Amino acid sequence: MRRLYIVMYDISHPKRLRKVFKIMRGFGDRIQLSVFRAELTPKERIQMMMKINPVIHHNEDQVLMIPIGPAGGEIEKEIEALGRPYEPCPHGAVVV
Amino acid sequence: MNEAESSFPVILSLPDFIPARMLNEFAYCPRLCYLEWAQQEWDDNEWTMDGNFQHRRVDRPSGDLPDADEMEEQAPEAVHARSVMLSAEGCGFIAKMDLIEAEAGAVLPVEYKRGSVPDNPERSWEPERVQLCAQAMILRENGYVCPTGVLYYAQSRQRVEIAITDALAARTLEIARELRCVMQSGETPRPLQDSPKCPGCSLAGICLPDEILHEAAHPNAEAEEDAIRRLYPARDDAAPLYVQDQGAYVGKSNEELVVKLKGTKVADIRFIDLSHVCLYGNVQISTQAIQELLKRSIPLLYFSFGGWFNGICGGMPHKNVELRRRQYRAEYGKESLEIARVLVQNKIQNSRILLRRNSAEGNEDAIEDLRRAEQQAGEAANMESLLGFEGNAARIYFQHFSSMLKPKESDGGLSGFDFTTRNRRPPRDPVNAMLSFAYSLLTKEFAIVLLRVGFDPFMGFYHQPRYGRPALALDMMEPFRPLIADSVVISVINNGVIQSKDFVRSAGAFALKPDARKAFIMTYERRMDSLITHPIFNYRISYRRVLEVQARLLARYLLGELPTPPEFCTR
Ligand code: SF4
Repeated sequence: MRRLYIVMYDISHPKRLRKVFKIMRGFGDRIQLSVFRAELTPKERIQMMMKINPVIHHNEDQVLMIPIGPAGGEIEKEIEALGRPYEPCPHGAVVV
Repeated sequence: MNEAESSFPVILSLPDFIPARMLNEFAYCPRLCYLEWAQQEWDDNEWTMDGNFQHRRVDRPSGDLPDADEMEEQAPEAVHARSVMLSAEGCGFIAKMDLIEAEAGAVLPVEYKRGSVPDNPERSWEPERVQLCAQAMILRENGYVCPTGVLYYAQSRQRVEIAITDALAARTLEIARELRCVMQSGETPRPLQDSPKCPGCSLAGICLPDEILHEAAHPNAEAEEDAIRRLYPARDDAAPLYVQDQGAYVGKSNEELVVKLKGTKVADIRFIDLSHVCLYGNVQISTQAIQELLKRSIPLLYFSFGGWFNGICGGMPHKNVELRRRQYRAEYGKESLEIARVLVQNKIQNSRILLRRNSAEGNEDAIEDLRRAEQQAGEAANMESLLGFEGNAARIYFQHFSSMLKPKESDGGLSGFDFTTRNRRPPRDPVNAMLSFAYSLLTKEFAIVLLRVGFDPFMGFYHQPRYGRPALALDMMEPFRPLIADSVVISVINNGVIQSKDFVRSAGAFALKPDARKAFIMTYERRMDSLITHPIFNYRISYRRVLEVQARLLARYLLGELPTPPEFCTR
């Protein structure tokens, strides 16, 4: 039972920034510069924390995880975008 | 004990030491302990994962615990030893202790727990106290003075001191005695009844407490609405990847699987969104990608270009040896015929219902004949007669199969999808080509599920294990052929998703063209993912999840927990 999170981060060193970015790609879609949209089970959320935690500097950096509701729920439809549209890409089976 | 059991006695011997953690589990729920320890089921959920996250600092061994006889001479400054493994023969316990503090001649085991201090008079739960007490008893037997222990609650960052009293020690020994008894009995303890512990239990989706209690009491009877809690997600979060483009290359990049075609990226999928990977024909995959799939227990399946299921790569087999033993034993017992009867009967019933719903009038006789075959199958005296009833029913069903097909007139109506009998290897018309392909998809689905549950998919009860066929997968899919495979074929034809021009024909054999096959797979996937109401448990669940529940129930039947094999019939 996944929940939808907006994950944003503020990392003060470029090397750590790159590392966090790479980890986050494994958990969600980038929607803005340092903002990801991630659908995670409670277990995946902890997996993500366990990967990011050793990478960041605990006094200088910050990662925020904002749960906004159940994945596939109504709340996401209420997100409004000015400028570029907000288009979450759905995932499901992939056939190549 | 039934006959088969007495002729193949199960000799159960316990390891010499009981881990303190298992005492905790047993005190929480005896079944949980049994599933984890005897049947080696293990599924990290958020609680246990979070437990590990909280444990992360203490899990690295560090510091030295001085020998017991040196404790006296130890300097007055405190000693901290982390992640210490100790055992004691007298009580028969072993424990990896998170942290041991030593001061003034005494030691203090500290056990880390997630969450906050419980709001009860003891400010702790019994299972945790028992685990801590076992640690203290080990320390005492090793010569240390250990009057108290500490439970440290990570979320509220609070320490709760627990006195290791004689009463607590006696209770701990009593639980250990019960645990040994249950383990040696070889009988899985029953699930807890309607317990608030289950929703938080890491094995709820494997244990299926409400389903098992219902099936044990009223086998295959429809449960009342909301009577059964669905303690696992209604559908999977992860989905499969199919690669059929010849010459494609599958590789790994960080946390993603990447598919390239002639050097250009055509797809990337996060590993967390991936349930399994199917490769058709000449598709390459890198060792790094295979390693990562194995590490994450994501099965990798190989097919011929035409769709013949060649094999599966999925790491180590499940550690539930007890189940495989029962599976092999059942082949010689009466369970085998019982299972086969239910599977065939369900298959005929589901075929009949599909036919009744999808074809115009004129099939009444056929439907009546199927109903009779259904009944005969349920009472078949042996495998030979069961095969006969099934063959008869299949002939009737496929004779009328084309009455369910309504291709668009613009596509030449039925002429492009002329179908009279079922033929395979090679399929000699478009409908047979699609049926064969759909059945191969369903076979791989069950092969994956059966491996995950702990079965040997090659050893069946109805289908004979020969020529490397995954016989148990073929068995289990019988009731689902009409519900999933046949109905996908009907829907792609009737909705015009697949047309007569979408096939290639060579030497009398028909096959789907690659783009059409892609569309076919997507329709199949939507079917697998669609939510239905479970005919017995009455909750919403996807077909793909239904398959897993069926396999788990079959396991529970073979392990002696359920009186009859599980059924699955649409109503
Ligand atoms: S789900 Fe309930 S009955 Fe089953 S093991 Fe967990 S706590 Fe025990």
